Amino acid sequence: MLEYVLKRVATMFVTLFAVVLLTFILMHSVPGGPFTAERKLPEQVERALIQKYKLDDPLYKQFFDYLKGLARLDLGPSFKYEGRTVNEFIREGFPLSARLGLLSVGFTLLTALPLGILSAVKNGKWQDILVMFIATLGITIPSFVIATALMYVFSFRLGWFPVFGVKKLNGYVLPVIALSGYSLSFVARLMRSSLLEVMGQDYIRTARSKGLSESAVIIKHALRNALIPVVTILGPTIAGLITGSFVIEKIFALPGMGVHFVTSIANRDYTAIMGITIFYATILVAMVFLVDIFYVMIDPRIKLGRES
Amino acid sequence: MENGRKIAVLLIVTAAVFAVSCGGEKAPDVKAPEQGKITFALQSEPDGYDPGITNNSFASPFMNQLFEGLVTYDANGEIVPGNAESWTISPDGKVYTFKLRAGLKWSNGKTLNAHDYVYSMFRVLTPATGARYADMLTVYIVGADDYYNGKAGKEKVGIKAINDNTLEITLIEPTPYYLGILGMWVYAPVNKEAVEASPERWTMDPASFVSNGPFKVASIKLGEGVVLQKNDNYWNAGAVRLAEINFRFILEPATALSAFEKGEIDGFREVPASDIPRLRAGSNALHILPSFGTTFYDVNNTKKPYDNPKVRRALAIALDREEIIDNVLQAPGDPTMALVAPGYVYGGQDFTTVHKNYGFKPKADVEEARKLLAEAGYPDGKGFPVLELSYYTNATVKKVVEAMQQMWEKNLGIKVKIKVQDWAIYYSDIQNLNYEIGAMGWGGDYLHPMTFLELFTSNSSNNNTGYKNAEYDALVAKAVVETDPAKAVEIMHKAEDIFARDLPVITLYSRSNTIMVAPYIKGWVLTALSNLYFKDAYIEK
Repeated sequence: MLEYVLKRVATMFVTLFAVVLLTFILMHSVPGGPFTAERKLPEQVERALIQKYKLDDPLYKQFFDYLKGLARLDLGPSFKYEGRTVNEFIREGFPLSARLGLLSVGFTLLTALPLGILSAVKNGKWQDILVMFIATLGITIPSFVIATALMYVFSFRLGWFPVFGVKKLNGYVLPVIALSGYSLSFVARLMRSSLLEVMGQDYIRTARSKGLSESAVIIKHALRNALIPVVTILGPTIAGLITGSFVIEKIFALPGMGVHFVTSIANRDYTAIMGITIFYATILVAMVFLVDIFYVMIDPRIKLGRES
Repeated sequence: MENGRKIAVLLIVTAAVFAVSCGGEKAPDVKAPEQGKITFALQSEPDGYDPGITNNSFASPFMNQLFEGLVTYDANGEIVPGNAESWTISPDGKVYTFKLRAGLKWSNGKTLNAHDYVYSMFRVLTPATGARYADMLTVYIVGADDYYNGKAGKEKVGIKAINDNTLEITLIEPTPYYLGILGMWVYAPVNKEAVEASPERWTMDPASFVSNGPFKVASIKLGEGVVLQKNDNYWNAGAVRLAEINFRFILEPATALSAFEKGEIDGFREVPASDIPRLRAGSNALHILPSFGTTFYDVNNTKKPYDNPKVRRALAIALDREEIIDNVLQAPGDPTMALVAPGYVYGGQDFTTVHKNYGFKPKADVEEARKLLAEAGYPDGKGFPVLELSYYTNATVKKVVEAMQQMWEKNLGIKVKIKVQDWAIYYSDIQNLNYEIGAMGWGGDYLHPMTFLELFTSNSSNNNTGYKNAEYDALVAKAVVETDPAKAVEIMHKAEDIFARDLPVITLYSRSNTIMVAPYIKGWVLTALSNLYFKDAYIEK
């Protein structure tokens, strides 16, 4: 187990290095720079700025300087927001995004798993059709539509929730629902199809023929295996949800870090693009890693070590 | 562990995370206008709060409340004394001597004097500062450009503190509109101690943020907003009636509008265009005010067939501006084909009054346009290459561009292809003349026609059309040094006559500012330069 963990950690670092390198190359190959603003800067001013941020160094030097900073967990100053550091973007924005994301993960699991199971158990009946209808809507309707519709009905018309912000606790409700829409629908569908597949297998027939009750068959035998695909996608889903959503944060005016994903690229804020991408990649890789560890716990077929 | 129990544990952990993460900010959005507090939404976070550095239009609400320079603007948009009590201009129009008000103080209570102004201006002229508006000093002040480029010492620069409350600025040319330039925030003073204690980050923390305007910073939160409080050390603090302004960033205009209509905020800028017709009919909070800005489409004057003025004119008059403004933009604007926006008044007459002589029509003149195109060698649009109309990612501009495409194809019989790019790529293409026709515009920096006319001189860094006209250049250069305003107006009219004849760009309309402010807030000012002032604002229920 330890050997496996160490190997995986080493691979994680290789993956992250590849992300850093690729992002750096792609970013510098896109036209425009961090000082392309609303209007053209006088040449001497632009020259001064390029010197100030060391953008006149050769690219390889900029890259190694960046790596040096990264090793100290210093993501550098933002090129766009005077006086701000990229660490600050994450420090200020991530807690709120993570809070919303974790709430969404919880909401997703608490609703999608029971709905998926219900749908599979009642395969073909009205409950199944209803759940799958809602789940299909959740996948096909973009989150900005869901968010806008929720805001219109529950904040604007009914006045149950604030239009924007999370100063009041109930401010979380609509963003969390809107944020969960896609993953909730996806997980419910996955749970259903996975459980249906498992239910058709021989060992389930054996369990049934032993005379176990249907609920015992599902809970004790089917669910454990049916959960594996769900656990697999949970890693990337959690990573995606806790690092924030541009759309949801924009619509509900939430100061999270999701907004930076898009604006940093539009601004060509080089250090911010790098820092935020690396941060996201790290969380993603870590989640996938955790999921792999979790597999070992949940799936009897996966055994580590040199038994064979 | 059994599977069932593992799942149960998983669910419990999830529930626990759910419960823990529910904690958070507790204070509700307090809105108590009766206590002199207002919440005003802004559409974007500025790129900085340092008046010496930023040139970002989103910084303007902060600059206008937090800082005050030598001069400022009154409710009518006129220049009035700010930190300077009075000033004199030498007979040759080059030496400005300002007398500062007695007892000026910084928000931290320390004394502010002429030396602070000198320090602040030299800071702008230091390349390492990264001042985006440095050219607003280098172009006008004696020796400033050489100092910026390291070719001259401080003593050669025309910025001097004669004594603690007298400041002298010497200009290269007698620039009659210099007071307007001096009203820009790049000329606002910054506090030496505060800046030097933390050159990069003094504006990031209320404790180190020292300002001199009617308000000071109380809190500043990345991505969320900035709260300002009345600055009791402001020279005219007695006239400031608001206790607190909460500037909240709401990036989505539709959210800002909903929040306003639900009473969660007291005002916001940039009203969504699609809601303006409805709000105009039934809201007493919507204000549509003149803006010193023009929306035009850059034309690549170096590329065939757009190098032919007849082609440019044919394209310009084939557009139905009224239709674009009323039905596409659904927002107010004045159709025009000239350059200067209304707002500069001399001798009781707006500079743009003469625009009527140019004979532009608000509707399309299809017959004349077709005739011009035929004269240029493209009868009924035959043989005209496919026109590439570029714009940057923006929902409103998209609608306008699509309407223009339709109008040109229908009225001129040509083919139009639309191209969209993100701003950074788009703008570099425009600057490199790698385009045919592209969306652009200009918001004036100071209230004088020169802020527009200078755009299309041959060596202007914002002339992205390749248009060069020696006669135009000569007239603009003459207007810069003409100290008699009446003569200057005459010269500028001649320059604009050339613009209107050559049409280096295709102008659509002069802009307006939209703002929604709750009716119980009075005394706020939004000038044509889009400067928003709350120094005289108050609440009256």
